[in-house]
Amino acid sequence: MTDDVVTSGGAPTHDERISFRGPLQRMLISPEIGALIGTIMVWTLFWATSEKFSTAPTSASWLDGAAPLGIMAVAVALLMIGGEFDLSAGVITGSTGIMVGLFAQKFMGDGVTMWMAVPIAFLAAGLIGWMNGTFVNKTGLPSFIVTLATFFILRGVNLVFAKRLVDKVLVENIDEVKDFEFFRKLFAATHTLEPFSARDTILLFGGIIGGALVVAGLLEQSLVRRAASNPKGLVLLLVGVAGVAGGVLMLHNSDGASANFIWGTVSLLGGLLFAVGYGLLRFETEPPYGPWWAPASTKLFLSGIAATVVSFVVTRFLDKDEERVLLSIPSHGVKVAIAVGSALIGGGIVARRGLRRIRERSGVVRRSPTAYPLLVFTSLVAAGATTVAVLTFLQLTTEQGFRSLVQVGVGGGGILALLGAKGVASKTSKRAQLVVGAVAAIVILFTGFVVRHDAGSERFRSGFMAVVAILAVLVVGNALVEYIFRKRREAFTAGDTLGRILVFTGITVAGVGMAIRLIWSGAPVRVSIAWWLAITLIGAYTLARTRFGNWIFAVGGNKEAARAVGVPVDQVKVGLFMMVSLVGCLVGMMTALRYTSVAASQGVGEEFEYIIAAVVGGCLLTGGYGSVVGASFGAMIAAMLATGIPGSRWNTDNKYIFLGAVLFLAVLVNQKVRKKAQEAR
Amino acid sequence: MNLLELVSISKYFGNVTALEDVHTHVEAGKVTCVLGDNGAGKSTFIKILSGVHQQTSGDYLLEGTPVRFTSPRDARAAGIATVYQDLAMAPLMSVWRNFFLGSEPGTLGRFDIAFAKQTAKDEMMKMGIDVRDIDQPVGTLSGGERQSVAIARAVYFGAKVLILDEPTSALGVRQSGVVLRYIRAAAERGLGVIFITHNPHHAYPVGDRFLLLNRGRSMGDFDKDEIALDELTRLMAGGAELEALQHELGSR
Repeated sequence: MTDDVVTSGGAPTHDERISFRGPLQRMLISPEIGALIGTIMVWTLFWATSEKFSTAPTSASWLDGAAPLGIMAVAVALLMIGGEFDLSAGVITGSTGIMVGLFAQKFMGDGVTMWMAVPIAFLAAGLIGWMNGTFVNKTGLPSFIVTLATFFILRGVNLVFAKRLVDKVLVENIDEVKDFEFFRKLFAATHTLEPFSARDTILLFGGIIGGALVVAGLLEQSLVRRAASNPKGLVLLLVGVAGVAGGVLMLHNSDGASANFIWGTVSLLGGLLFAVGYGLLRFETEPPYGPWWAPASTKLFLSGIAATVVSFVVTRFLDKDEERVLLSIPSHGVKVAIAVGSALIGGGIVARRGLRRIRERSGVVRRSPTAYPLLVFTSLVAAGATTVAVLTFLQLTTEQGFRSLVQVGVGGGGILALLGAKGVASKTSKRAQLVVGAVAAIVILFTGFVVRHDAGSERFRSGFMAVVAILAVLVVGNALVEYIFRKRREAFTAGDTLGRILVFTGITVAGVGMAIRLIWSGAPVRVSIAWWLAITLIGAYTLARTRFGNWIFAVGGNKEAARAVGVPVDQVKVGLFMMVSLVGCLVGMMTALRYTSVAASQGVGEEFEYIIAAVVGGCLLTGGYGSVVGASFGAMIAAMLATGIPGSRWNTDNKYIFLGAVLFLAVLVNQKVRKKAQEAR
Repeated sequence: MNLLELVSISKYFGNVTALEDVHTHVEAGKVTCVLGDNGAGKSTFIKILSGVHQQTSGDYLLEGTPVRFTSPRDARAAGIATVYQDLAMAPLMSVWRNFFLGSEPGTLGRFDIAFAKQTAKDEMMKMGIDVRDIDQPVGTLSGGERQSVAIARAVYFGAKVLILDEPTSALGVRQSGVVLRYIRAAAERGLGVIFITHNPHHAYPVGDRFLLLNRGRSMGDFDKDEIALDELTRLMAGGAELEALQHELGSR
C-alpha cells in the first residue's frame, strides 16, 4: 500500500555554494552569544578575585537578585523584539504591590482577602498594559513617550493613594492581611534544603557525563562519519572511560596535593583518550598537512605571549591586598614624569595626524590660514585631556584594583589571542594549529598557577586548578582532534541532528547536576528562581517555535510587511504590552509578599536595568531581532555585578560604571555578531 | 470566464478623484499589465484590488460574482495575493520565517519549523529559484531574489490572482529579467497575474493585456494584438505632451 507515494522534489542535501559552518561558527552568529560570553567572563572575574563568589550562599544571593530582573528582562526583550519600549515596566512592580497592600488592608473599610486583592492587581496590570498598547497603536506616537506618561502617572498615583490611605509613602504589614500565607508560598517562598552527602557526587558525575555528551555532540557536528566503525577506537574509548571513572573516584577519596595531582592527571588524560577514541570509532581520519608554523598567525601569537608576560610581571610586582591609590605610590618626580609623558603622547598623536592631514590636502585645496594655529590648539587640548585622563585613572584606581584589571583583562586577552592564533593557523595547516594549541594550553595552565598563587583558601585553589586544567585539556583535545580527523565541509543532516541532541542532553544533564548541588546546599533558595526559569523557557519557546513568536519578529522587523500578509499587528503589540505589565505584576507580588512592605518608589528606575539586560542579551533597539535567553543572561550579568563587586571588596558604587561598560561592550559585540549573521552567504 | 473583472470602477477621496470609470480583466494563466506614470492612480487601483480600499462605485467581479473586500485578509482568503514593492518582508528574519509569515503551519499555535524550512526550499525550487541557505536573513538577498521569495510564497498559498506592485522598479537590467521570468512562470502555473509598472519595456514582453492609467482615468484597455510597443510607450509617456516637449526642445 505504500509504493504509490511519490516523494516530492529532489532537493539536494547540500549546496556547494555554501561554505559549511561548524557548530561553533553557527553558535557565534546567534544573538545571545555576546551575553553568554559576558556571563562567563563576569563570573570568572569574580570567581578569580573573590573566594566566596562560587560558594552556594553567594550563588543563591546573586541568583535571587537576578530572578526578578531576569523575569522582567524576558518580557521587556519580547516587547523590544516587537519594536516597542515600556518605561512603565519598573514602576508597575511597585504599583501592583501597593495596590495589593491597600486593597487587602483598606478596601471597604477593613480590607478584603488576598484571594480578591491579587487577582484585582493582575487585572489592573493587564488593563494598564492594554492602555499602553492601545494608546501606542491609536496615536502612532513612539511608545517611549506613551509609556513615559504612564510611568509618571503611576508614580504619582502610588504616592497619592499611599499617603491618603495609610498616611505614609510606605504600605506596610502586608503579612497581617487575610490568606497571606498561601500567596507568600506561591510568589515568595524560601526553601532551605539541607545538603545530603551524594550531592557532590551527583555534581561530579553530572558534569562528567554531560561534558562527554557535549564533546561527542560537537564531534558529530563537525567531523565526517566513516562507513564502518573502527574497533581500535572502541578500545581507546573504553580505556578513556576507565581512566576518567577511576581517576575521579580516586580523586574523590584521596587527600593530599600529590595524590590529587596524580589522579587529576589520570582523569584528564582519560577524557582526552575518550574524545580521540570516540573519534576513531566513528569518524574518518585524515593525514596531517601543512608546515609546522603558519606565518599568518604569528602576530596574534606573539601578542598573546606578550600579554601573558605583562600580566605575569604586573601580578608579581603589585600587591593584591594593597588598597593604596596608585597615584600615591611614586615619588613627586615620577608623577611629573607621568604627567609630562602622557601629555606628550596625547598631544603628539593628535599633532602628527593633523600634520599628515594638512600635508595630504595641501595639493588639493588651498590651505586655510588658520590651519596651523588650529592644530597647535587642538594638540594642546589633547595633551591636557590625556594628562587629566591618565592622572584621574591613577587617582581613582587602587593597586589592588589595577592588578585585577590587568590580570583579567590583559591575561585573559592574551589567552583569547592565542586561541585566535590557533584558529588562524588551522585554516592552512594541521601541524601549525597543533603547535599553537599546545602553547595555548601551557599558557592557560601557567596563568592558572599564577592566579592560584593569590588565592587564600585551599578549597578554592583546588577547584580553580581543576577548571583551569579542564580548559587546557579541552584546548589540547581540540587541537588533537583537528590534527587527526577530517573536518566536515558540508551539511550532513543526520550528523547535525544527532549532534544537537547529544549537546542538548549533555547541557541538561550537567545543568541538573549543578542545580541539585545549588538547591540542596543549605543556602536559601527562593521560588522566584523557579518562576524565572519557567518564564525564560516559555518566552524562548514562544519566540522561536510558535506562530505568535514569528509575529513578534515581524511586527518589530517590518510592521507594514506584517500587516500586509495578515499579521494582526495591533493585537500583537497590545498583547506584548499586556504581557510586560502582567509579568511586572508578578514581580510586584514577589517583592511585596517577600518584604511585606512596599515603598511608593518601588521599581522606579529599574526599567532601564531591564532594557540594559535585554540589549546586552542581543536585542536590537529598533526591534525585529533578539533573544529571550540572552536577556536572561543579561540579567545574570547585572545581578552578578551587584553581588560580586562588594564581595571583591571593591567600592559598591562601581556597579554602575561596570554596568555601563558592560552595556557598551555588549552592544559592540552584538553589532559585530549581527553584521556577521547578515553577511551574504 | 474571466478570473477577475473590473467594471467601471471609480474611487473618490472626498472631492479628489483617484480613479474614474476603469475597466479591465485578467484571465487564468494570463498577465494583465497596469501602466501609468506617477499619480496615475496605480496605487489606488492596487489597494482596491487587495481590499485595502473599497471602490466608490462600479463592480469588482471575482470569477463572475461581485465581491466587496473589507480588509486585505478577506482578499487574500479569496485568493488574491499582493506582492508590494518593498513592504513584503522583514529583512532581519530568515527566508523561511518570511515565507510563512502570517500563515504559519502547525497546530495549536505551534510553528512547525522543520516543515516550514523544507517546504520553503522546495517551493522556491519549483519556481526555479535556488536559495543558497534557507536560514539566511531576507535582507541579505538581492532585490530580485526578494521579489521571487514573495512570488513563490503567493503561489504556494494558493493565490488565484497575483498582484505585483512595481516589482522591477528598483532593480537593474539583469535582476529585472529574472523577475520577469518568474512572473511568466507564475502565469504558466495557472495564476492570473496583474503586473503594475511604469516601464512599458518590462510590461510588453510578459503582458497579455495592458491597462493604461493617466490621472485617475483609463486611457484604454488593450489586448496584446491591439497595441504595439511603440504605441504603448507613446501613450505611457503622456503621448501628446511628450511630443510637444520634444518639439519645444528640438526647436531650440
